Amino acid sequence: MQQQILLKTEKLCKTFSNGGQQQHVLKNIDLKLYQGDFTVIMGASGAGKSTLLYALSGMDTPSLGTITFGDKVISDLSQDGLAVFRRDHCGFVFQQIYLIDGMSVMDNVLSAGLLVNKDKKALVAKAKELFAAVDLSEETQKKFPTQISGGEAQRVGIVRALINSPEILFADEPTGALNSKTGLDVLDTLTRFNEQGQSVVMVTHDMQSARRGNRILYLKDGVILGECNLGRYSHGDVQRHEKLSAFLKDMGW
Amino acid sequence: MRKAKGQTVAIVVLIVLASMLLNLWLMLSMDYKANFDRYHIKLNAEHVTLLVNDTDNVPKFLSQTLENEPEVKEYCMDRCMYMVGTFPYNGGMMNGQFIFMDKQTALSRSIGKAEIVEEGKFTSGVYLPMLYKSDDFSVGKTIEITIGSHPVTYTVCGFFNSVMMGSHNCALTQIILTQDQYAELEVSNYAFQTTLCSVRLNEKSTNLTYEAKIKAIVSENFPNTQMASNCYDIVAQSRYISQGICSAIMSVMAFFVLLIALVVIVSNIINYIQVSIKNLGALKAAGYTSGQLVLSLLLQFLGLTFIAALVGVALSYALFPAINLMMIAQTGIPYAIHFLPLPALISLIILGGTVALSVWFSAHRIKKIESIVALRSGVQTHNFKKNRVPLEKTKAPLNFALALKTTLSGVKHNITVCITMLVLSLVVVFSGLMTENIIVDMTPFLNLIVGETADSAINVQTEIEDDFLEVLNSDSRAEKAYLYNSLNVSHVGGVELMATLCDDFSKVNNQSVVFKGRFPKYDNEIAIAAKYAKEKGFAIGNEIEITANGKTEKYLISGFTQITNNLGRDCLLTRQGYERLGTLQSVTYYINLVEGTDIDAFNEEMKGKFSDSVNGVINVLATIEGVGSVYVSLMTIIVIAILVLSAIIIAFVLYLLVRTLLNNKKRDYGILKSLGFTTGQLILQTALSFMPAIILSTVVGIIVSCLVINPLMSLFLSSMGIVKCTFSIPVAFSTLAGIGLIIISFGIACLLSLKIKKIAPRNLLVGE
Repeated sequence: MQQQILLKTEKLCKTFSNGGQQQHVLKNIDLKLYQGDFTVIMGASGAGKSTLLYALSGMDTPSLGTITFGDKVISDLSQDGLAVFRRDHCGFVFQQIYLIDGMSVMDNVLSAGLLVNKDKKALVAKAKELFAAVDLSEETQKKFPTQISGGEAQRVGIVRALINSPEILFADEPTGALNSKTGLDVLDTLTRFNEQGQSVVMVTHDMQSARRGNRILYLKDGVILGECNLGRYSHGDVQRHEKLSAFLKDMGW
Repeated sequence: MRKAKGQTVAIVVLIVLASMLLNLWLMLSMDYKANFDRYHIKLNAEHVTLLVNDTDNVPKFLSQTLENEPEVKEYCMDRCMYMVGTFPYNGGMMNGQFIFMDKQTALSRSIGKAEIVEEGKFTSGVYLPMLYKSDDFSVGKTIEITIGSHPVTYTVCGFFNSVMMGSHNCALTQIILTQDQYAELEVSNYAFQTTLCSVRLNEKSTNLTYEAKIKAIVSENFPNTQMASNCYDIVAQSRYISQGICSAIMSVMAFFVLLIALVVIVSNIINYIQVSIKNLGALKAAGYTSGQLVLSLLLQFLGLTFIAALVGVALSYALFPAINLMMIAQTGIPYAIHFLPLPALISLIILGGTVALSVWFSAHRIKKIESIVALRSGVQTHNFKKNRVPLEKTKAPLNFALALKTTLSGVKHNITVCITMLVLSLVVVFSGLMTENIIVDMTPFLNLIVGETADSAINVQTEIEDDFLEVLNSDSRAEKAYLYNSLNVSHVGGVELMATLCDDFSKVNNQSVVFKGRFPKYDNEIAIAAKYAKEKGFAIGNEIEITANGKTEKYLISGFTQITNNLGRDCLLTRQGYERLGTLQSVTYYINLVEGTDIDAFNEEMKGKFSDSVNGVINVLATIEGVGSVYVSLMTIIVIAILVLSAIIIAFVLYLLVRTLLNNKKRDYGILKSLGFTTGQLILQTALSFMPAIILSTVVGIIVSCLVINPLMSLFLSSMGIVKCTFSIPVAFSTLAGIGLIIISFGIACLLSLKIKKIAPRNLLVGE
C-alpha cells in the first residue's frame, strides 16, 4: 500500500552567514516524510541534522527551496504563519526539555493545548490520559518543573508535544540530557505512541535511540547521504541492530 | 551597566529630569525672592510707603512725627499726584491706584527711587513699570490711561523698575511722567495733589506693625484725611505668588521623578542580583567580600548619578531663561540669570545621597548570598509554593491567564508600576485641578486669591447712595448689587486689618471666603482671617476689640476667612457693624450684570447719571481677564509640561520594566513561540501583565488624589493664608485622564514589547 506523504522538501537549502562567510548547511535536499513513520535523522556533529529538523518543523525558514505540508507550502509562511502551522500540526520534544519553570506541570501542557483546543474539559481529560500513559501521577502534575526529575520532565515534554494530537512529532535528541534508564523510558514512550499511529521525526546521534526508527536518514555535509529502512521496531531484534550498524558503517559513521 | 545600555539610558534620563527640576526649584525658591531683596537694597527701597493728602499740614505733621520715631531709620517725602485709574492690559483692563511722579523726582529719590530699564529718544510722555512691557506697549507706542474718569493718551517713553510700586500687585502703581506731561496733569486737576512718604525702618521685620502704627497716628490727628499705603511684607509676597506656585510645583515634580528613579534603581539592582547570582557567587568564592561587591555597585550608580545630575543642572540653565521670562511677567522685577553654586550643590547632594541609600538598601541582600548555594542553584525567580492561576481551573482566556501568571510572579515590577502610577495619578489630578479651576474657569482660583469678583464695581459718595440704588434697582441689566467696601481698621493689641464691609453677605458671589463658622449677620459680629486668629489664639465665639476713627468696639467672632490679600490680615464686618465705629464717606457697590451687558458702557452710563458723585468705576471682569491671563498662560504651560513629563516618565519606567521582563522571559517566550504562540499573542500577554497593577494603582491613585488634592493644595498655599482649599475636584477630567493613562501605558507596553518579534524559537534551540 502506498504510504501517505505528510511533508516533502524540494531543493531545500539553508545557508548561514558567519562573519561575512557563507556557510551552506543544507544543500538541495529533496525529502518526503510519510504518515506513521518513525523517521530518524542521524549524522555527525555539524552535519546539519538539527538545522534540517528546524526547517521541517517550521521553527526556521529555508534559504532556498520549498517545504510542503500536505498541499500547503509552509516555506513561504511568515513567522506568525509558521507559529500557527506549528501549533496546528506539530509537536516538539527538545533535548533540553524546555518546560516553563514558572508554570506547573499541568499548566505547561495546558498552555500548549489551550492554544488549539478551547474545550478545556476535554483537554484536561486528554492531558490526564496522556499523563497516565507516560506514568506521571496526579501529584506530579501539580508540581513545578524544578521539582521533578529529568526523566519525568521529558515525559511531561512528550505529553505537551502530543496534547494537540499533532500530525508529526519532532524530537531533537530527546534522550541527550537523560541517563540511560530514563532515556530508555522516553524512547519506549515515543515508540509506543508511534505504534499507535503517531508520525515521529527524531534527530539523534545515538545508535540505541536510532534503532527505534523504521526509516533512518544519514546526513553528511548538508546532504542526505543514504537511507536505511529497518522496518517496525521490535524489542530484542538482533538483525535490526546489525543492519543499522552496517548502514552506518557504510555511511562512514 | 555596559550590558544593559537601554536601562542605563532610561535611569540616566530619569535622574537628568529629577536633577533639572530640583535645580530649577532650588534656584526659584532660593534666589528668585532673594533677587527682590537685592533690588530692594540696590534701589534703597522703603519698608513702608504712605501716601497722604497735601492738605491740612498732613505732610508737615508726618515729617515731624517720623523725625521722632525710634523705629525709623530714614525717610523721604516727595510731592506727587494720586488717582485711581485704568489702562488696557493683556486683553483686559488694569485697574489701580496710580501715583504720578515726574521723572526727575522719581529717579533721584533718596529712598525708593525708580530705575529706568529701557527708554527711547522720546522727550514727552510716560514711563511704565517694566511689568507692562508687552506687544501692546513698547517704546514709541501710545497708551490711553483713564485717570479717574478722564482718558489721557501718552507716548510710552520707556520702562522702569520700582521695587515697591512697580506692579498691580503692590496696591500702589507708580507711573512716571516727563516734566511737561506732569505739569500738564497738574493743571488739568484730574488727580489729587499728594505727598509720597517712603520710610526705611531699623528693623525690616516690623514693617507691618509700623505701617499700622503710623497710619493710626495720622488718622488720630487728621480723622478726615485719605491715605493709601503698602509695606515690604505685603509687596514681597504679592509679587511672588506665581513664583511660589511654580516653585512648589517644581519641587513636587522633582521629588516625584526622583522617587520614580529610585524605585527603578532599586528594582534594577534586585533584578541584577537575581540574574547575576551565579557570577556574584563566583566572585564571593574567589574572595570578594560583600562590601566590595556593594561598593562596586555603589560606585557605578553614583558615577552615573553625578554625570546625569550635572547634565540635569546644565539643562535647567537652558530652560531657565524661558521660565525667567514667565516669572518676570508676574513679578515685574528684572532677574539676571547667573550660575548659582548652592542650588547645584544641594541638587547633587540630594540625588547622590538618595541614590546611594537606595543602592545600599537594595544591594544589601548581596550579603545574604552564600557562594556555594548561589553557584549550585542559580536563579530562582519563581515562588513554587502556590500555582496562583491554574489553567485547569481558571475561567480567564489563555493569554490573559498567562499574563496574570507573569503579573503575580513579578512583585517588584508591580511595586514599581504602582508607585509610578500613584504618583502620576496625583500629578494628573493636579493638572485637572489647575485646568478646571484656572485655565477653563478662573473663578475658583480668583475666589481664593482675590476674594470677591463681580462684573462691575462703582464707588459713589454716600449722599447719593439712595438715588444710586434706586437707579440700579430699576435697571434690568443689574442682576444683583451689594455693598462691598474695603477699608482699614485696627485690632486692639494687634495690627491693622483690612476690613471688608457688606450690607448682606448672603449676596456675595464667593461664599467660600468664610470656610469655618459663618459670615457676620449682626452689627456685633465679625469674621476674621484664620491665619491671624491662629496667631492671636482666637476661636469662633471669642470677643475681639476693633478700633477705627479713634473709636473701639467689641465684636463676636462668627467665622474664619481665608483671603490671600494683605497676608491674611483681614476681617469681614456688616455695614451696621462698621458704623458702630464710624461713618462711610463713600461706598463701593459690586454689581452682577445680565450676561451680554457691555460693562464699560454700563459704567459710563452710571458715571454720566451721577457725574461728580461717582468716585470711580471698575470693569472687574476686564481687570480679572487682564491680570488673570498671566496666571492662565503660566498654568497652561505648567499643565502641558506636567502631562508631557508624565508621558515621558511612563515611557521610561515601562521601557525599563518591559526590557527587564523580556530579558527574564526570553527563554519562556522562545518556548512559547516554538509551541505556536504568535508574536502578537506574546506582546498582548506582556502588555496585559502590567495592566492589573497599572489599572489598580491608577484607579486607587485617582480616587485618593481627588480626596487629598484640596488638603494638599491648602498645605502648599498655607503660607499665603489659605487654610482650606475648595477647588472643584476635576472628576470628569481625572476619570478621562486616568483612562488615558491606562490606554497610553498599554500602548507603550505593546510598542516596547515589539522586541518579542526578534525572539526566534530557533535561537532558543541553538542557544543552549
